[in-house]
Amino acid sequence: MPDRPIIEIRELTKRYKGADEPAINSISLDINKNEIFGLLGPNGAGKTTTISILCGLFPPTKGSVTINGLDIHADIRKIKQIIGVVPQDIALYPTLTARENLTFFGNMYGLRGKVLKNKIDDYLTEFGLERHAGKMVARFSGGMKRRVNLIAGLLHDPKVIFLDEPTVGIDVQSRLEILNYLKLINKKGTTIIYTSHYMEEAENLCSRVAIIDRGSIISLGNPKELVAEHPEFKNLENIFIHLTGKELRD
Amino acid sequence: MFKFFSAFRKEWIVLVRDVPGIILLFLMPMVMLVILSLVQEFGWNAVAKEPKIHVLFVNEDTGNLPALIEKGLDDSRMFVVLKKLNADSLTRETAREKVRTGEYQIGVIIPKGASKKIERKVQMMITQIMSGIMMPVGNPFFGMENKDSVNIIIYFDPAIKGTFKAAFLSSMKEYSLKIESNMIFQTFNDELKKLFPQYLSSFKEFRETVYFTEEYPSGEKEPVIATSTQHNVPSWAIFAMFFIVIPLSSSMIKEREEGSVIRLYTLPVSYFTVFMSKVGVYLIVCFVQFIFMVLAGIYLLPLFSLPALSLSNHYFSLTIMALASSMAALGYGIMIGTLANTHQQASAFGSVSIVILAAIGGLWVPIYFFPHAMVKVAALSPLNWAHEGFLTIFLRDGEVADILPQVFKLLVFFIVTTTVAAIYRKTNPHIGS
Ligand SMILES: Nc1ncnc2c1ncn2[C@@H]1O[C@H](COP(=O)(O)OP(=O)(O)OP(=O)(O)O)[C@@H](O)[C@H]1O
Ligand SMILES: [Mg+2]
Repeated sequence: MPDRPIIEIRELTKRYKGADEPAINSISLDINKNEIFGLLGPNGAGKTTTISILCGLFPPTKGSVTINGLDIHADIRKIKQIIGVVPQDIALYPTLTARENLTFFGNMYGLRGKVLKNKIDDYLTEFGLERHAGKMVARFSGGMKRRVNLIAGLLHDPKVIFLDEPTVGIDVQSRLEILNYLKLINKKGTTIIYTSHYMEEAENLCSRVAIIDRGSIISLGNPKELVAEHPEFKNLENIFIHLTGKELRD
Repeated sequence: MFKFFSAFRKEWIVLVRDVPGIILLFLMPMVMLVILSLVQEFGWNAVAKEPKIHVLFVNEDTGNLPALIEKGLDDSRMFVVLKKLNADSLTRETAREKVRTGEYQIGVIIPKGASKKIERKVQMMITQIMSGIMMPVGNPFFGMENKDSVNIIIYFDPAIKGTFKAAFLSSMKEYSLKIESNMIFQTFNDELKKLFPQYLSSFKEFRETVYFTEEYPSGEKEPVIATSTQHNVPSWAIFAMFFIVIPLSSSMIKEREEGSVIRLYTLPVSYFTVFMSKVGVYLIVCFVQFIFMVLAGIYLLPLFSLPALSLSNHYFSLTIMALASSMAALGYGIMIGTLANTHQQASAFGSVSIVILAAIGGLWVPIYFFPHAMVKVAALSPLNWAHEGFLTIFLRDGEVADILPQVFKLLVFFIVTTTVAAIYRKTNPHIGS
């Protein structure tokens, strides 16, 4: 018998205050342990909204979520301890150095002292930032900030990690480094949920993808299988265009 | 606790790295204190500092009333009493001329027989009272109208300010009332002495303890004089402490704008811990702000030949008062930082509202100059509570118990404002901090 899915989403709905349409509309989805799961969709589809609810940033209007068997509402504190979050927008203190930022966030996960310091050193080296550890984040390039933003979500070895467009606005080298690292930690047992606008990247990386549009899932499955089902489209990007249309979104 | 200290440390670093912000925060109020104290000093001198106003004093009377009035003017420390000009005794005419030409601002003339009149008036009153008690019939003064009032003439330079004129007149009235009641007591006592020798001792005691302590409230001690500094330092210190609202709300908005708050909410740490670390850091800033302003009052103002601030040993009540005021300021800052959407909103609303609360709270213009309706409004300003508390300490020699009402109100204000912020955050969860 297969394991219980690490994330179970049931009829999740979120309507922002004053909005006519719900940002996400009755989404149900299971994500299994050790998956790299891609949430794909045009701008405003509801990807960030979904991830935000899964991270406990705000409650859904309707529906339920469990992560690792814990209820998002009742056990949010325990959930926060086992998830890592890499927000779409850089979430760092610009006037703190990279090390100070990472130390603070590490402390909030209960990490401290030598253990934390070694971890930070390892990560900074891994992502080529060791020379910049003592520099204020405000003086970093966009790509460097993204890498620190990523490390901040990884420090406490989360069971599940949510990444909202982690590869946006960075050069090819950094992107490869990040993607390889994600594959590595996934091999070691971390479940990854990630959003992206790069179909090719998702096609190569993800075990499964969900394409969402206007708050609803319109397609779900292994990217290679999806392409195989629609041989006329050749790749995920064409399927995506076919499903979501060419019209521009908010 | 560990998370609290880490958050505190983070908050502290963020704050001290904002060097221009820090300089502005500490330097601005100090510059304002010095400049405004200098500006006010001139005006204040005229009413409350060292003897400055010369009063021409013409005595045509032979009794003891003139000496009493002279002493009253002298004791007020506002006036220098001049009885001679260039070795010549003053006359009614020269005094009037000197005041008319504006060479002197005030002339006081005690006309001939003033003491006699006042004594007679007192005697008459006593007789009336005594007769009411003792001799219901047959007194020659009984039923007689008292039209025989004493007429002291006062000349004012027409250029003198109306408020100052009113102040002088009211203090003159006060002296004469004191003198009068003093005489009444004296005479009454003498009369009683004749009638009831056995009650004498208790009346004497009453007179000496109650009456004379009223006349000289601080006894041997030098009374604390309301210099411009005693008024200005608390005003500006409170103003400076409440300006913490700007950096505090801006730090909260910055966290939202920079997005760090998003990560903060995904961390396994309670909002309360993060919140208290912020309160802790800014409480220290507020308190340091207060200490700086007090130090500026003691050491900086004298450099500009302004009177120095006198603390008279009330360190404990001052600390309590400063902490309570800081908490109120922090609560207000947290509320603005939560409700405002942008830096512009927060700083515009924050600064304008503090200026208004300071003005209606009587920080710049003393409450007793306010029209009656405004006094009620003033009591609504938390800056007024803080100010009242500090004045109680600085001017009225207040102890901790005397400032408790203000401390209580300020702490309630903190609780109310932070509760409003918390409720707003709860009902608008995706706004972040
Ligand atoms: N705080 C908010 N208040 C009101 N509406 C919001 C808020 N955040 C998002 N929305 C709306 O909800 C919908 C979904 O937005 P969301 O950010 O989840 O999209 P997304 O898929 O992440 O888009 P993108 O690819 O551009 O990041 C959009 O219509 C957006 O305008
Ligand atoms: Mg998004």
